[in-house]
Amino acid sequence: MAVRHRLRSITTLTWLNGVLPIRSQPLYLINLVGQPLSFLFFITIASGGSLYPYAVGGGMLMTILSIGTSLQTDISHYKTDLKLQDVMIASPVEEWVYVAGLALSELVYSLPAMGLFVLLWTLGGWATPLAAITLAGVLLLVWAFASALGFTLATYFQDVRETFVFSSVISLSLSVIPPVYYPITALPAWLRPYAWLSPTTYAADLIHGTVGVPGPSTLGALTDWGVLIGFTLGLLALASWKARWREP
Amino acid sequence: MTAAVQARGLTRVYPGGTRALENVDLEIPAGRVFGLIGRNGAGKTTFVRIAATQLMLTSGEVSVLGLDVLRDVDEIRMRIAAVPQESRPLYFVTVDELIYTYLRVRGMERADARRRTEAALKEFSLTAVRNRQVNRLSGGTRRRAMVAMILACDAEVLFLDEPTTGLDPIARREVWSAIRRAQKEGRTVILTTHYLDEAEALSSRIALLDGGRVKLEGSPEDLRGRVRRPFRVTVHGAFGREELESYGDVSEIEGGFLVFARESDARDLAAKAMTRGARVSLAPVTLEDIFLQVVGTRLDEDAPLEREES
Repeated sequence: MAVRHRLRSITTLTWLNGVLPIRSQPLYLINLVGQPLSFLFFITIASGGSLYPYAVGGGMLMTILSIGTSLQTDISHYKTDLKLQDVMIASPVEEWVYVAGLALSELVYSLPAMGLFVLLWTLGGWATPLAAITLAGVLLLVWAFASALGFTLATYFQDVRETFVFSSVISLSLSVIPPVYYPITALPAWLRPYAWLSPTTYAADLIHGTVGVPGPSTLGALTDWGVLIGFTLGLLALASWKARWREP
Repeated sequence: MTAAVQARGLTRVYPGGTRALENVDLEIPAGRVFGLIGRNGAGKTTFVRIAATQLMLTSGEVSVLGLDVLRDVDEIRMRIAAVPQESRPLYFVTVDELIYTYLRVRGMERADARRRTEAALKEFSLTAVRNRQVNRLSGGTRRRAMVAMILACDAEVLFLDEPTTGLDPIARREVWSAIRRAQKEGRTVILTTHYLDEAEALSSRIALLDGGRVKLEGSPEDLRGRVRRPFRVTVHGAFGREELESYGDVSEIEGGFLVFARESDARDLAAKAMTRGARVSLAPVTLEDIFLQVVGTRLDEDAPLEREES
């Protein structure tokens, strides 16, 4: 398939799964913005305002991270209920094109919430070119590894309900234990090593440096980038190797 | 003539040990409609899914348009399209968007995709509902839209797995017309169906699968010639079962008997029945009759449960 055909496939899938559902049901937008804002509200109130910067950074991270879960549910639904995946397999659409199109469509879903968080981030006075580049780079990597993970897991499910079980496990390991909404020092000491096993911890560490709270040192930042890129490449490789496009 | 699909010694064993296909040899000619018939669990869908590159085979070889399904998968996928069994469209798109976006996802140019979408909407009488979301359509119209979507593309080999299930008779005829047109354009259609009239009306060749094996394969006329008793005689009155058994295989039907017989026996029986004033009919066997003779059960009876997942 030629490159321009692949790009056409990706953009059409993005339109199909990202724009058309919102046009069909605009109330989706309330849900898409409401959940991250609820966390922001809760954490800010509960901490007396001291964790507000973490809540803004964590909100951005969680919004992008949730793409993995949404993608996992969508792919599973399209595979097992609608048989759309079988339609796509028997066509020139390659698996990575299918995943990229759907992953971008999930990004469309996240745009309203992201827009709001970027606004809060700008109003917080934290927006600098370096912080913007860091933020964009981290969120891009998180989007890539969350999508790869979501796709890989979805290809193994026989029923969409199974995805709910895995969503909880993924949520626990990627967003509850890792210090997304608070500094890692807030975790009990015995739990901190476990937090560093999750790629989200490195992403959160880098994001903390962009929202006016203590971030990593230069060496720490380099380590964070290295580990995050490594995780992302590893999960992308796993997706292309283990994901089951054609049923074995 | 080049084979559209060729299978040699094809076997598929599902995890858990279910043998869905057992050493299947099949050659599907290009540019024709090929019907795959059999009970639920006979192996039809498994065969289609392997040839459509959706499912791995366990052993044997399968090629599509001369390309190997394991080695040349990308080339094959450029040239095929499939409507899977029980597939449904995304609920939030309109009928127009369903067809158009599918063609665009396949990489088609905007103008070509638009032209083909318009043609498909017209061909399948979907123009009146083109802007309606598919979740507001009846199940039959949704299915029709799915078939329209697949037939609108430029694939050379089309796999249609029970495409008319749930359609009313008029919609079925529309799908039939579209399939015939696709065949006239030189495309190959591989059709699995439960409707034997459909297989007979559309297919130039038919394979009858049962228990994961090909029991019979050929044109509808060939199949008639290959059963032991190629004529069916129905008799109402004037005969008892024992007497009829001397002419062929007898089964009871409402108010009378159905006899499968050789041509000479069938003619003798019909003549005798007329002299006795019985109500009688004589005709070549139908595909349903062939199925009954070969498999020993009716088509609408499911295969044993262990074969269900195939």
